[in-house]
Amino acid sequence: MGATFVEYASVFFETTVFLYGTVLLLIYAMLAVMSFINIRLFLRKESYTDYKVIVGSPLAPGISVIAPAFNEGLTIISNIRSLLTFDYPNYEVIIINDGSTDDTLEKVVNEFSLVKVDFAYDIKLSAKPVRGVYKSTDEAYAKLVIVDKENGKSKADATNVGINVAAYPYFLCTDVDCILHDQTLQMLIRPMMEEENKRVIATGATLRMANSCEVDEGVLIKIVAPKPLLARFQELEYIRSFVLGKMGWSYINAVPNVSGGLGMFDKEIAVKAGGYDPASFGEDMELRMRMSRYVYDNKIDAAVRYIPTTLCWTEGPTSLKIFMRQRTRWARGLLQLMQAHKKMLFNPAYGRVGLIVFPYNFFFELLAPVIEFLGIIYYIFLIYFGLVNWPYAIILLIFVYTYSVMISSLSVLWDQLTFQYYKTWRDVVGIISMVFIEMLIYHPLIVVFALRGYYFHLSNRTHTWGNMQRRGFKKATDNTPKAATT
Amino acid sequence: MWRDLVDLLFQAYEQFSLLPLFIEIALAFIVIAILATIVAYSAIMYKRYKSYVHDKRVAFISPIIEEMITEQVLLNEKLGMDVPTEDIEFDPAALANKIYKKPFVRQILIETLIAYRKNFRGEVGELLRKLYIDMELQKDSFSKLKSVRWEKKIKAVVELTQMDISISDVTILPLTNSTNPSLRAAARNAYVQLSKNEPFKFFDIATEPLLPWDQLELFKIITTTKDIAIPNFSRWVSYSTNKSIISFCLKLIAHYDQQSAIPAVMELLNNKDHYFRADAISCLGKLSADAAEEKMVKIYTHQPLNCQIEILKAMGSIASGRNLEFLKSEFLYSSNFDIRMNAARAIIRHNTQASRLMVEELMEMTYEENQLIIKHCLNPLIKY
Repeated sequence: MGATFVEYASVFFETTVFLYGTVLLLIYAMLAVMSFINIRLFLRKESYTDYKVIVGSPLAPGISVIAPAFNEGLTIISNIRSLLTFDYPNYEVIIINDGSTDDTLEKVVNEFSLVKVDFAYDIKLSAKPVRGVYKSTDEAYAKLVIVDKENGKSKADATNVGINVAAYPYFLCTDVDCILHDQTLQMLIRPMMEEENKRVIATGATLRMANSCEVDEGVLIKIVAPKPLLARFQELEYIRSFVLGKMGWSYINAVPNVSGGLGMFDKEIAVKAGGYDPASFGEDMELRMRMSRYVYDNKIDAAVRYIPTTLCWTEGPTSLKIFMRQRTRWARGLLQLMQAHKKMLFNPAYGRVGLIVFPYNFFFELLAPVIEFLGIIYYIFLIYFGLVNWPYAIILLIFVYTYSVMISSLSVLWDQLTFQYYKTWRDVVGIISMVFIEMLIYHPLIVVFALRGYYFHLSNRTHTWGNMQRRGFKKATDNTPKAATT
Repeated sequence: MWRDLVDLLFQAYEQFSLLPLFIEIALAFIVIAILATIVAYSAIMYKRYKSYVHDKRVAFISPIIEEMITEQVLLNEKLGMDVPTEDIEFDPAALANKIYKKPFVRQILIETLIAYRKNFRGEVGELLRKLYIDMELQKDSFSKLKSVRWEKKIKAVVELTQMDISISDVTILPLTNSTNPSLRAAARNAYVQLSKNEPFKFFDIATEPLLPWDQLELFKIITTTKDIAIPNFSRWVSYSTNKSIISFCLKLIAHYDQQSAIPAVMELLNNKDHYFRADAISCLGKLSADAAEEKMVKIYTHQPLNCQIEILKAMGSIASGRNLEFLKSEFLYSSNFDIRMNAARAIIRHNTQASRLMVEELMEMTYEENQLIIKHCLNPLIKY
């Protein structure tokens, strides 16, 4: 009787995993095809697009760039200068000093000739109290708004204040230490302005690692593939996630989330959806879901779009400890999101979000580490009892390995077809080499850290917002480590 | 030897067919994955090599083209000697160079001429155009226009427009209503620039929308192209059934300050679409349409928030002074922050003795948040 139950359980598990794996592989194949079509379409349009038309246009919609800063004293000046260089006619830059304990505010006040002003705004989204709003007496910095607030212990809280203060109908959410392309605003507003029958509520673009890039005064001088191994793995992961994943999902209007590092949003919808959730560990995903819920609940035909161009370079963690903390937080955020919006799962009232985005996130993002972990346990069990058919097992392992290598290789190819960011073969080979070892080194780490995040969340462990020791970019003047919230 | 190989393959197939289905599938996928990976890397190498070769070819050919353009056009002796451009002849030997027969070189030549023409107007610009025609490059552009690929058509339309080569209405007008938004936009832009008599004729037949992104370029073309006959845009405001065309015309009416269009724009205040009404109110504000103020005040109460805000902004622009009490009342008694902010701005924008007194009075009588709103609006450092 016991043996029969084990047999049934084995057959059930194997069949489930087989079906699960098959569907996942098919999804990846489908994403590869859809992203290819979408990228080709984008490139065709780009070939004759003249972005200069928006530069001097009185019809350009206003955009508020919102960047929270916490203890960024070492680099805040160059970061703000970088944000003030966008090639766009109608924007403001709102820096939220999130209760920094260093000299961030003093430095900014002195550098940009700021004075405290009586600034009226509507508190549409709740957040920690604002201590003061500063504007520059120098006309050259008229676009700059500095908001000083009490520390809210989350980026979401600071960004909500930025949304409250924002004057324009669209806002770009970024991190103050991200390096953005000077055409970011024009390129991200375009999908909002050229959709025929839908209201585009959010747009995003590809992010990359800036770890080994050369940067001067917050401006990218030379793009170089990251040299530290961990950052290089992340670069490959980002290429696959953005160029292949998000571009594929964007083709069918089913983008799972818009990255917190760079995303443009329709302010009206974001506010009506309740803004960012300060309690969330994955505030970017959370906002995307809230906005989707809002538009479906209110029968607004909406879309979220992605473009393959890299517009944002960010410094990825290079220490395993920081990386673990980041991925643990992301995993907690995902689980938290699933719990908060479980009503949407397979709910046809939420259209593609309910039937595609949410189930995909649930089965292939949330459950994947769990299923992988169980698979390894099961494998060990089979090995222990001598039940493994080794020739078949090896064939299946080779199958999974070659398939994952193929998908990653295709994403590198799509990336190379889009823009050849790396100027040297050395950089290209450096990224390609990661494709072959990623599954053996990097992927297990991701699984372990995700499981850690689930465990922490389920056991209600308190999250500490630690300091991320950044190494700074290769250049020029600044190689000093600095602190940032993770 | 071949026989052995066939036998081997046959044996392999026999063995393969004995395997369980999932192993057969896995093996098949392994082969596919390996092949796809090899193809991917080959494609990366090919793409990079192709870019490298392309760059080398461009680097080789560009100086030759630029030298020819410099000699034949920029340093042409007859420039500035009052010789009509059509009578200036180029050196046939320079144009007969065999490299100019190659499609790749001809395309670079077209692109170079376009780049030069963007920088040179007047006589030099005309001579660049003549060179384009004399080298029969317009034939290349027209052949692209016949392509089934929309991006090639766009390329052709842009080239011909940049070189000021007429395209017949029969060819271009249908494209202005294409279902492909990109092609449609390019054709509309071209039509406005190339049509000498009725550059806005496509407004009459446009059934497809004029997207906000496309409006940017069209607006720039209309407002910067020389010698373009600007019509009274109220014509389309009154008769067009295409909402995006009407919305675009409202922006043009405001830009050209077409006061005669005010009655037509006021008609839109009765439109059912509130986004449309907001556009019309904004237009009336920019026109400082005094005559529309009373009607706007009259309809104010029944409007949604976006229209109410536009009415307050418009009243700030019109600044007749007749409705200061109305603005004061909105500022004092509205529960909506945006209404109060815009009412305060409208009062301040009047910038008259009466409005200044009213601001002072409001500062004394109102509560803290409203005082902050007034201070915010009065601060010259705060633009919005």
